[in-house]
Amino acid sequence: MAKVPRNFKLLEELEKGEKGIGDGTCSYGLSNGEDIFMSDWNGTIIGPPGTIHENRIYSLKLYCDDNYPNNPPIVHFISRINLPCVNQHSGKVESSRLSCLSQWKSSNSLEDILVDLRREMANAVNKKLPQPPEGSTF
Amino acid sequence: MATPPLPKRIIKETERLIADAVPGINAKPHEENLRYFDVDITGPEQSPFEGGVFKLELFLPEEYPMSPPKVRFLTKIYHPNIDKLGRICLDILKDKWSPALQIRTVLLSIQALLSAPNPDDPLANDVAQHWKDNEQEAIAKAREWTQTYAERKMSKIGI
Repeated sequence: MAKVPRNFKLLEELEKGEKGIGDGTCSYGLSNGEDIFMSDWNGTIIGPPGTIHENRIYSLKLYCDDNYPNNPPIVHFISRINLPCVNQHSGKVESSRLSCLSQWKSSNSLEDILVDLRREMANAVNKKLPQPPEGSTF
Repeated sequence: MATPPLPKRIIKETERLIADAVPGINAKPHEENLRYFDVDITGPEQSPFEGGVFKLELFLPEEYPMSPPKVRFLTKIYHPNIDKLGRICLDILKDKWSPALQIRTVLLSIQALLSAPNPDDPLANDVAQHWKDNEQEAIAKAREWTQTYAERKMSKIGI
């Protein structure tokens, strides 16, 4: 397959995100619609039903460096959340503790990360973890 | 992962782009990805983009030439058919694409779009509205942006 350059891959992801992905439980977009290098992104995850996260809306920020998609994005939660893969001081998603990031492939996307994080929230081990007050931020 | 060989058509188009260059257009493939081109287009004379050199990037997807090239501006430009991320509204890049067209024809069409902005088929709605409401003022702003973001600083490089 032809290797899609960073900017054109991000443009594709942007267009997909603008149309809306999956069932709408995960979404993302550019933080600054005029940023020609498309480095900073916002993400949103709606907490999965039947878990402590139900009805909560989580905001995240994702940063794609010059080597994206060879390098995975750097991902932070803005909304406070208690999850084993999230650093409790900074909100950073620890790459080594989320399979989508630790086994990152250049064909992966921002959507894959959000979907994987939502899966973590619903994971039997995590779904009842006590959570910080709704609306608090890192 | 081994890169598959480049289709003959792309090799030929690239050779011709370099050997028989179009005036005002420069296109050079990246060494590590021969489907990915750095492009410079000189603003056409008598257009608000005159005096500017605009950087673009072009990518030939796997399906090329059955699918059109992907192109966008990297230099900021005030034009009704080009949005804030440099994406271009041009029919041959979408539904009017034909495999008989080439990289060369695409770049010539983009150069022509700079000479003839089309506010009736806008991508940047606010810019198109400006063009329709007050064409002179919109052109003045396009000229100002050309000077700010695209002007070749001839004196500084001693040409």
